[in-house]
Amino acid sequence: MSITNLLENWSDFRHQHPSEDRPHLEYKWAMSIDLDSCTGCNACSVACYAENNLPVVGKEKFAHGHSHHWMRIERYWDNDGREFADQGAQFLPMLCQHCESAPCETVCPVGATNHTADGLNSQVYNRCVGSRYCNANCPYKVRYFNWYDYPTTDNVWPAPMEQQLNPDVTVRGKGVMEKCTFCVQRLTVAKSDARTEGRLVLDGEVQTACQQVCPTGAITFGNLVDPLAKVGKQWMQQQVDLNKDKQAKDAAEDAVKLRGYRILEELRTYPSVMYLEQLRESAI
Amino acid sequence: MYSFLRLSVLLVGLVVSAGSYAVKAAQPLTTADDLGPNVEQPFEFPHDRHAGDAADGGMEINCMYCHTYARRSIVAGIPPVQKCVGCHQNIESVREAPRIKKLFEYWDAKKAIPWKKVHDLPDFVRFNHERHIQRFVFAQGKPVQEACGYCHGDVKKMTVARRQKPLSMGWCRSCHMKDHRIDATSTKTSQGPNDCWQCHK
Repeated sequence: MSITNLLENWSDFRHQHPSEDRPHLEYKWAMSIDLDSCTGCNACSVACYAENNLPVVGKEKFAHGHSHHWMRIERYWDNDGREFADQGAQFLPMLCQHCESAPCETVCPVGATNHTADGLNSQVYNRCVGSRYCNANCPYKVRYFNWYDYPTTDNVWPAPMEQQLNPDVTVRGKGVMEKCTFCVQRLTVAKSDARTEGRLVLDGEVQTACQQVCPTGAITFGNLVDPLAKVGKQWMQQQVDLNKDKQAKDAAEDAVKLRGYRILEELRTYPSVMYLEQLRESAI
Repeated sequence: MYSFLRLSVLLVGLVVSAGSYAVKAAQPLTTADDLGPNVEQPFEFPHDRHAGDAADGGMEINCMYCHTYARRSIVAGIPPVQKCVGCHQNIESVREAPRIKKLFEYWDAKKAIPWKKVHDLPDFVRFNHERHIQRFVFAQGKPVQEACGYCHGDVKKMTVARRQKPLSMGWCRSCHMKDHRIDATSTKTSQGPNDCWQCHK
């Protein structure tokens, strides 16, 4: 996208996405995470570090909030006033929700974060000037800023560790914002392969790194437009509609207990990640 | 809602738009030339001799005979020494030429020839040869040398390949915003992707 194009089609890039006039035609990447299966093992987080060249910042910088875990496991304790919760912590893997109407996109002064045709919330490092407005406006706090030039000043990957960097992902320098990309490098390859064969990407053909390593298969990822995709079936089963900020199932009086929900959807961000609530003994 | 933005956009746009319309007006796919630096190679490989027209003494070898991955991979690939020797062991007439002697030196030493990269894109760019070759050569039926030439220039007239096109983002976009026929017969057209993450990684 050139700057002329950005300026000429500004209103298009700022288009509110879940809309009748601009549906996703081929792809709409979405995810669902089953919190009942999640054991909080952090494998997804580790896989993300490996796949996306995330710097390990160390204990001190982590304490300052400078960590770069695009995929992080949040812990919630439901201890009802007791010192320790009977059933331990509840885990919630938190990553960029790839909102259809993303708060981060509207505040970027340089248009570095945009919505792609595939329904991804893209971050272009070259355009980013590091204003960090996007991070301030993100309700999920899943954007991470490069406060240091980790590869050089911090020597995050001392030789020969730089050899393990993923060549398909940029190594970010100082002063840019970064976040989960839904492993766009894998999506691009899958889309290209499918295009050569004159078809769309099949369900299960492409996996995100976190999904690939999840030992309990808690993460499902796929194309929401594809009627055969498992992720779409899950969304439908849970009656979660991408384009609604209030789900019809929650409004019903005699609501059937369905587990699917999206985090902070009342903010009208229209997130692309659906969570399946954990079933706890105390809740039954 | 974004009227305050529109105003500033308009002002900046005024300056930029003149340039953009100039780009749009140029419909044929020949694009701006911007000669790159001379790249010093281990020894001279005469592209003109291999790929050039028969009238100019060339062999008219298809680009993809040597750069065989172009149609099925993101990179076009530099051929292994084996590929050169595969033909040249049977071509006695040039066997004593200095370049071919050099070639067989590498072959006998079982060493790869350290060719230097001529068309080097920045690390943050994801360029896919396969997509372009599939579109222009296999779908539209354009001659291979023409399709490769959109980005690589007139290689069949060069000896050592030299970058001829700017390979900048604006230059890529100048082609991506043109309407390209989707195949050889159809009148339907489509444009190249206009999405940051298609090319930026």
